[in-house]
Amino acid sequence: MNNIKIKKNSIRWVIALKEEAQVILDHYKLKLVNEKTVYPIYKNEEETHWLIICGIGRNNAAASTAYLYAYSNASQYTSWINIGIAGSDKGNYGDLYLVDKISNYQRKKSIYPLTLPKTTLPKMHLFTSDFPVSDYSTYELIDMEGSAFFDIANKLTSKEFICLMKVISDGPKNDIKEITNSKISNLIKVNLFKIIDVVSYYERLSEEEFQIIDKPKLFNEIKSKWHFSATQSYRLETLLRRVQIFCNKKDIEKIINNCETSNSVINVLNSKIKNNLVNWSKI
Amino acid sequence: MIETIYVEEVIKNHPRTKLILNKFRKSRIILINNYGEIFNKRNQNFRIQKVNPCIILAHKKDGFVLPAPEGFGIGSSKNFYFSHMYNCIYDCRYCFLQGMYSSANYVIFVNFEDFDTAIKNTIEKNINSKLTFFSGYDCDSLALENVTGFAKHILSIFKTHTQIEIEFRTKSVQKQPFLSLKPMKNVILAYSLMPELMSNCLDNKTPSISKRISVISELASRGWKIGLRFDPLIHGENWKILYKELLENLYKNISLDCLHSVSFGTLRFPKRMFKDIFKLYPNEPLFTSPLSLNNKMISYDIKIEKEMTSYCKNLSLRYINENQIFKCSI
Repeated sequence: MNNIKIKKNSIRWVIALKEEAQVILDHYKLKLVNEKTVYPIYKNEEETHWLIICGIGRNNAAASTAYLYAYSNASQYTSWINIGIAGSDKGNYGDLYLVDKISNYQRKKSIYPLTLPKTTLPKMHLFTSDFPVSDYSTYELIDMEGSAFFDIANKLTSKEFICLMKVISDGPKNDIKEITNSKISNLIKVNLFKIIDVVSYYERLSEEEFQIIDKPKLFNEIKSKWHFSATQSYRLETLLRRVQIFCNKKDIEKIINNCETSNSVINVLNSKIKNNLVNWSKI
Repeated sequence: MIETIYVEEVIKNHPRTKLILNKFRKSRIILINNYGEIFNKRNQNFRIQKVNPCIILAHKKDGFVLPAPEGFGIGSSKNFYFSHMYNCIYDCRYCFLQGMYSSANYVIFVNFEDFDTAIKNTIEKNINSKLTFFSGYDCDSLALENVTGFAKHILSIFKTHTQIEIEFRTKSVQKQPFLSLKPMKNVILAYSLMPELMSNCLDNKTPSISKRISVISELASRGWKIGLRFDPLIHGENWKILYKELLENLYKNISLDCLHSVSFGTLRFPKRMFKDIFKLYPNEPLFTSPLSLNNKMISYDIKIEKEMTSYCKNLSLRYINENQIFKCSI
């Protein structure tokens, strides 16, 4: 497995077919990784976007999502995107839809993905089937991967970081048998700007989360100077987060400079907190 | 703007569901089996959801009226609470709700009549005790009144049980249904307050303290009983001056005849809850306060707590009687 340092934003794509992915690969300049992998994996130079071609079906979607997570060293603030074609008799051929409810045959209960806020994109209920469906009347959207992708992705991150987008490719008026590779690529291509717009929200979300949960600036520096046990490291991180809000880096360095042990570093930071009088007029 | 409303299948045709949905005609409606499918799931981010929360309309099955935790009373021998809603439209950084639920969506229970039955049963079972009911322990009791109409509905019970007290605790400036009703002596409109400077930093999305005081003053002048809740008391530079200004402003501007009670509570979080809230908001200035672990709770040092409580209490005693002052200690 790679040991890649996570960059500021972090996006992972899970897409069933190469034809569905091609426009995304081109736009985000994703290249095939130089290793033999179970599923084809692509990434950009900055290693912020990774994409896996999972193949058709729920098993492939679940396995490849977990595989990409491990292979790309994804984080809890990584956003996960599934895009692909879907059948429908409710929407218009070629239109892009966000998914906010998913059902399948195996599960009694539905699942409810969140969608990005304040979007004008329409939303639909997705049914994930294990075989191609010719009766489109029961559900709004039909695919073969969505529920499995969401199930696994939601074990890896919170549901706010997961997005499913579907482009209508077939329905009562557009026979599934008439779908060709070039038609698939074209369906995604005509929606590219909308897709980029949606993904930019998830890039921002991922970046903001990274800023919030990233370790305090001085954390690694201090840990390299003194030996901290696991419990002490946790204490140090928490105290540093609190102290750095009202104390700049230089001042913190100054107060811990003469500490001889990790315990005394913690005590000094603790006493800084104990004596802090919050100035509410400056916040 | 509420973008999505989840509706439990079982109450999709309930008249109150229809009434509420009518107020959000542009929202997307998604039918669900049980509110827990959305609300109780793990792997949700409360902070991100809080930016754009959804409404969940649900049917409450049990637990309509519960005994209030010890230390929550205002003088009665028995205290009970009920919540027609989970979560709050406000986003106060010290609030326990942000550490209690994994979801920031608002659950509204539409079967108000089951609350009525449970309240009446509780009154009957405790016929010889002095009772106080608290509305909205798990939410702000009035903030969404224009959507739910719960306060207006529940008041009818207390019109006929005039010996039973009910407290609506709020930070809202919602004046209805009270302005259109005759004042009821057993109804307490209790307002959570802190100095404006602190509130500006900590009470996100709430009406300002000055607006709250103006509503308190108006309702008091109409004869409604008022409760003042300084819970939590917040420490910081010039806290004495800030609290003195606030308390004197209140006591000088509201009719003291209408003041039912005043309570003070200190800032406190159960240890586990503090950990969860700190994880959500690690850069929050409130957490740079001198908070530490005391008796399994994260709170200010006991010395600070005592100093703040007795300072505010002594100041209040210049205007009100000792038996009107209570301590919130849960």
